[in-house]
Amino acid sequence: MRRLLTLASTLALAAGAAAAQDEPLRIGAAVYGLNAEFMQIWSAALEEHPAVQEGIVDVTIFDGRYDALVQQEQFETMITQGFDAIIFVPIDIEAGAAAVQAAHDAGIPVVGSNTRVNSDLLHSYVGSDDVMSGRMVAEYVLEQIGCEGNVVILEGPIGQSAQIQRLEGNMQALAECPDVTVLEQQTANWSRAEAQTLMENWLTTHGDAIDGVIGQNDEMALGAIEAIKGAGLNVEDFAIAGIDGITDALNAVKAGEMQSILQDARAQAQGALDVAIKAVKPDYEPMSDIWEQYPEMPWNDGADAEYNVPWTPVTEENVDELLAQRQ
Amino acid sequence: MAVGTARRIDTGEIMRRYGILIAFLVLCVVLAVVNQNFLTTRNILNVLRQTSINGILAIGMTFVILARGIDLSVGSIVALAGVVSASLATMATTAMVPGGPYPAALAILAGLAVGAACGAVNGVIVARFHVPSFVVTLGMLSAARGLTLLYAGGRPVPNLTDSYRFMGNGSLWGIPMPVVIFAAVFLVAWWVLSQSRFGRQVYAVGGNPHAARVSGISVASIRIWIFVISGTLAGLGGMILAARTGSALTQAGIAYELDAIAAVVIGGTSLAGGVGRVTGTLIGALLIGVMNNGLDLMGVQSYYQQVIKGVLIVAAVMLDQSRNRRD
Repeated sequence: MRRLLTLASTLALAAGAAAAQDEPLRIGAAVYGLNAEFMQIWSAALEEHPAVQEGIVDVTIFDGRYDALVQQEQFETMITQGFDAIIFVPIDIEAGAAAVQAAHDAGIPVVGSNTRVNSDLLHSYVGSDDVMSGRMVAEYVLEQIGCEGNVVILEGPIGQSAQIQRLEGNMQALAECPDVTVLEQQTANWSRAEAQTLMENWLTTHGDAIDGVIGQNDEMALGAIEAIKGAGLNVEDFAIAGIDGITDALNAVKAGEMQSILQDARAQAQGALDVAIKAVKPDYEPMSDIWEQYPEMPWNDGADAEYNVPWTPVTEENVDELLAQRQ
Repeated sequence: MAVGTARRIDTGEIMRRYGILIAFLVLCVVLAVVNQNFLTTRNILNVLRQTSINGILAIGMTFVILARGIDLSVGSIVALAGVVSASLATMATTAMVPGGPYPAALAILAGLAVGAACGAVNGVIVARFHVPSFVVTLGMLSAARGLTLLYAGGRPVPNLTDSYRFMGNGSLWGIPMPVVIFAAVFLVAWWVLSQSRFGRQVYAVGGNPHAARVSGISVASIRIWIFVISGTLAGLGGMILAARTGSALTQAGIAYELDAIAAVVIGGTSLAGGVGRVTGTLIGALLIGVMNNGLDLMGVQSYYQQVIKGVLIVAAVMLDQSRNRRD
């Protein structure tokens, strides 16, 4: 048995040596969960990266199933299996730190994407600034109501980094409009159905007094739209905006019912992969076209600690093109 | 069915028998006094509409619990029936079913069939293979969610036809369709459980399966039927949810089984089986709905709602226990 094992490992070593030149890099992507549309788009974009298509890297996507512990165990698996680099989209800003530490100890670079993790051991981070989007979404609503009147805020799950940062941005924008009153501010846990119920109840309490709806994501803004329609009110009488640019929201923008800000999942995924490959292969040049698409986010040899993927406002002009990309 | 034998009027006995109804009425009176919007027609219709999906699931759950079972899979069946049925009623160009959108009636039949099929699988395994329903439906909770994600590719099924959406956002003589459906389901369930032979057999199986078998009842077929009823009603709930939000989401219905069980238990149906009424479930579901609505109207943090719901569930079971002891 032992001899057999030795033989097997010798063969494996020989095969490894022969293929070392063009053997693809193994990069693992640990994402918090694949149930929602955004991470689906993110994952699809990763698989479509030219380096994957040309066989330069082998990408394995691990579904964290919205559980920090599952993600931790997936890191252990990747470390054991000797992955060359890891792209990390953590479920929780704090709980991911231990996983990053373990990979760092094993000498595997970790590139963050989309959601932050509270660790200074990240090789780099490619994501979008949620404070900025929170500010933008509130500004859309405030601009439309002329910086006066009453708004409600639909928040993400309290304590999640996106909720904290988007709220910070909401408040920055609101501070510039002292004549605006926030009538209600409550979590709907990113959920359309929950937001619909909440908005129905708010419309009962405040009726026509509500002028604007600040949604910290598109799902909740869409729920508010359904509630307004259900109450027999005119959606055009409300200023409504959300974040993420999910397909239903793009359709609602097209119908003139809301505004949305696209979080570019493709750029976050492909940018993170370019940075991760560069971390392992020093002579690598980025292959994704996102660096041309966003000149305001320079490549800088993949050495930046943070890459800020710009937010794209969804407008009547670009909405058809964005919808076409989803086909 | 266990019947109390108290002869004289006894306030303790009244509390035990009608405690939940009294609590519900007190809550309504308090809310009507505190908030002027509570008793408006629109708000009452809102509460009924917001209660209807959970109410429909809870009615199905009542059948299962009366027969001494439990159905943990209803939340996942909500999502599965939702996406399957919506995929036949979507106008999206990315539709996975070619040739659509199909007539709403066909899509609805498909959703009901999916729910009934999941329920039948649950029921057959429970009845024929003698696996505890807790375990079987726990398995279905996971499997149906996975099938939902597989079927929809993790993405929502958007752009549902207006005729399909009618059951979510339409109304009949001024009453929202979800409420009309909920009322119809309730009346049928009430008749079946209190007037029909099948209903008496459900109570008999839950009260004492051995005695039921001896008296010639096919315990296995009753057990299969109650899961088919629960699954079908979950499918119905899932379609109303999709019609209401305008899009069938793969994350729909997560943890809905818990609210359904809560409504049944608050309504006084014993988890030991054989004791309880569907009118109790109606009040239990309405109590949860009114409480959520009232606290929203008063601007109370949603976290308190969860605490209060928890206290209610335990209090209801305590009432139930003391009633059982007396009997």
